[in-house]
Amino acid sequence: MATNYEGGGGGGGGGSGGAAPPKSIPSGDDAVWADAAPLIEAACNDLQEGELVHGENFSLFAAMSALEIMDPKMDPGIESSGYCSVDEAIENGIAPVPLSFDRTVDVKHTLDVMDHLLACEATWHNGHSLAQTVFSCIYILRIERTSPHPLLHSYCRVMRATCNAVVSAVSDARTHEEEDLFTMSYGLPLKDGGDDKCLSILNSVEETVSRQLQFESLQTNPDLEEGYCRAVLCRLRFRKHFYHALTCMRKPQGRGLELARKHIAACLSELDNMFKSLDFLRSHSFYQESAVTSTTASGCRPIGFDVSLNSRLLSPTPPRAVKVLSWIDAVSYFEKLLHYLDTICSFSLDPALESVLHFIVKFQLSQPPLVARAHLQLLLVHDGKLYGRDSFSDVIARSLALPDVTKDKEFQTNEFVLQLGQLLINLIKILCANTAWQRRKLGKILQDWSVISIQLELALKREFGELLNSSVDESVCMKVSKHLLMWAQEQTYWIALRFLTLGFELQLYSPSEYCMVYWYMYVIFMKQVETMQIRIVAGTRRKGKKKRDHHARDSGRDAMASSYCLLLQCYMCLSEGLAMMLAALRNESNAFQMPNIFNSEQERFIQHFELLQKAQVPEHISYHIFKESTAHACISDVVKHNYFREAQRIAASLKGSFSADPERLAELRLIEQVAEHNRIALNVINQVGAGDPTLRVPLEFTHHNHFVVAVVKRS
Amino acid sequence: MAAAEIEYVSYGGEHHLPLVMSLVDDELSEPYSIFTYRYFVYLWPHLTFLAFHKGKCVGTVVCKMGDHRGTFRGYIAMLVVIKSYRGRGIATELVTRSIRVMMESGCEEVTLEAEVTNKGALALYGRLGFIRAKRLYRYYLNGVDAFRLKLLFPRPDPALLSANKDGRHKQHAENSAESSPIYI
Repeated sequence: MATNYEGGGGGGGGGSGGAAPPKSIPSGDDAVWADAAPLIEAACNDLQEGELVHGENFSLFAAMSALEIMDPKMDPGIESSGYCSVDEAIENGIAPVPLSFDRTVDVKHTLDVMDHLLACEATWHNGHSLAQTVFSCIYILRIERTSPHPLLHSYCRVMRATCNAVVSAVSDARTHEEEDLFTMSYGLPLKDGGDDKCLSILNSVEETVSRQLQFESLQTNPDLEEGYCRAVLCRLRFRKHFYHALTCMRKPQGRGLELARKHIAACLSELDNMFKSLDFLRSHSFYQESAVTSTTASGCRPIGFDVSLNSRLLSPTPPRAVKVLSWIDAVSYFEKLLHYLDTICSFSLDPALESVLHFIVKFQLSQPPLVARAHLQLLLVHDGKLYGRDSFSDVIARSLALPDVTKDKEFQTNEFVLQLGQLLINLIKILCANTAWQRRKLGKILQDWSVISIQLELALKREFGELLNSSVDESVCMKVSKHLLMWAQEQTYWIALRFLTLGFELQLYSPSEYCMVYWYMYVIFMKQVETMQIRIVAGTRRKGKKKRDHHARDSGRDAMASSYCLLLQCYMCLSEGLAMMLAALRNESNAFQMPNIFNSEQERFIQHFELLQKAQVPEHISYHIFKESTAHACISDVVKHNYFREAQRIAASLKGSFSADPERLAELRLIEQVAEHNRIALNVINQVGAGDPTLRVPLEFTHHNHFVVAVVKRS
Repeated sequence: MAAAEIEYVSYGGEHHLPLVMSLVDDELSEPYSIFTYRYFVYLWPHLTFLAFHKGKCVGTVVCKMGDHRGTFRGYIAMLVVIKSYRGRGIATELVTRSIRVMMESGCEEVTLEAEVTNKGALALYGRLGFIRAKRLYRYYLNGVDAFRLKLLFPRPDPALLSANKDGRHKQHAENSAESSPIYI
């Protein structure tokens, strides 16, 4: 596979000098080292430029996987510290134990190791491998060596136990796409049975240091000693509380959440103390790196780390550049992570499905890190139950809001209910994943939900036939089946809307595509509202006695459902308004013309909505219908229809119903603002005339992350 | 410098390979071995174009096409224009030429990946009718996300095909780019 290409890029090494082979790679019993350079050179001379050695199983496609040795872009081994193994590095004094024979310097160096480990940990969380981060620490790679040094030893063991716990959590939740790098631990000494006992060692070390802070002095200058003691203590305590927080969070059924919150609060407090130690540590060290980039609080480079030692454990693909986060950034990261974990721990474990979905959607808005998302998923779905506590049949029954259904054994074991339960589990897991992957998966599962709705409908027709459309009193069974069908359809629409709105968050649409997206959203909102209204009305038709018994609770539920339905109508008006306004601008203004070189709007419509069309969500929607609805849109008509005013009216009327819910109130305010700004923009455009060449209408997500606001500018 | 001063040439052979390689090596962050280049230019020389200004190679596009899960699809692997020559439509012209060849060869769609931060590329492909079909989390070695961009060519209207007596209504998309037959 040699090439005689002269332009560079080819492997440069291996001159014909017969250099001695490296001693640390020994010859075996049947093996001997020989210089292959002359042979390779001769082979090179045999090939002309542009020729390639060709074999049956070796094509050009296969050749693409070739790596050029010693090319730093491709060869992970080239960036080498010079040590071929951990043992060689240790022999050369890279990771001494103790770190210094001077006790103060020893503490200083230990603090640097702790800080750099924290920075590595944060770097790992942010998308790199353990091998290139936490396990670049020789003290962690050979933990037994640190036994004579209680402080370092206990810190390393709790660190390793924490990494192990986090890897387990994320593995159990399962990772997606490039997150696979997170759980890779091949060849690393990650697990060790004794690590949980390390906490007791850490506790005793903490106690010792604490006593030293109060009574003894490490050396003659008491001021110095106090600062170092404090710095050590807060780091130890952070480690301890972080490990406890994670352990508590893994307790099933949310039993450990309250205690986890206490540990999280303690972590945040210790992180604050760590940050405060920055000034002291920097003022007591020399040769410092800038605080902004340094991976330690002191600004000194830590001893005991070598990134290249694990390079053989990495996959053979070209190496990812690993830049360890600065210590300050690492502390910020952990603060952020802890706040997300706290949010999870504060969740009320509301048994209502709608609350769960709403919570996840809200949680995901600020793009929480993988570790947080994994823990959320593990809390929500455990042992095939919600919170490890409620069966999904119960969850569905509650969501249906039919009073008789909850304890009904037949309902619990109905095959459709069980299947829907599985779909719900899958949905919740998907919603906890990273949004890029999540959106693709949501598009795919539409098919599953659509299929089960069709099966439900067929089963209904089979069982009840002509009875379905008569006004005769329905049997409980028929009523429940009907409601189940409608409920399944509503969830399908919910998924479709999440799929579409995530497209805005992921920036998958260009402004010229907003019109079709809002139109599709409008159509789905309309179907969702329709279905929900039928179900609510049908649910309120109850027989005599039971109505009295459950009156208060049921009417409360009904009111909530009606309010939610109104909220959907609000979104529907906004979507329709935006779709029609954008369609009118496209029809009447030159500024909104679309590309037409290789394809037209039709192809882009087909592509964006392919999965929705395939699952027929909703039915009978096509590009032609979109075209028909929007081809004659004009600004003056859109003004007349007053979509935005209608949205404002509904939003205002809902304030009473959501008065106890600050989040919903905030959402209503946003809707009002979006509606108001667009209404004004529409009026201005109407007055100026959409065809005015000086008119520019940029679209901005200034108020809401799905609903755009039109801004009118004259150039 | 007028647009007419740029000369566009289809890949002509080994003598063009070093030009393509050095442009791509200099400008793009992903590492490629020489075998990667050879794979593309040997199998699909008619899909690689170079742009010259006064004898100097200032831009190139490298592509492939083939069957992908039942779809005949074009793929744009690399697109580079030297910094000082950007903003003059050279990249658009290079890409357009490749896409035309793909279309004429019967491709149903064209796809590529681009960094989410690469506004220039996103605008260029958007103008040609590509949509952002997917977002790929941390796709690149530097941790940046990517968009998968896709251009779908128009398909022949199925209403025209169903009138045919021979039963040839399931015309395969590979034939879509050939001159459309007239049905009775």
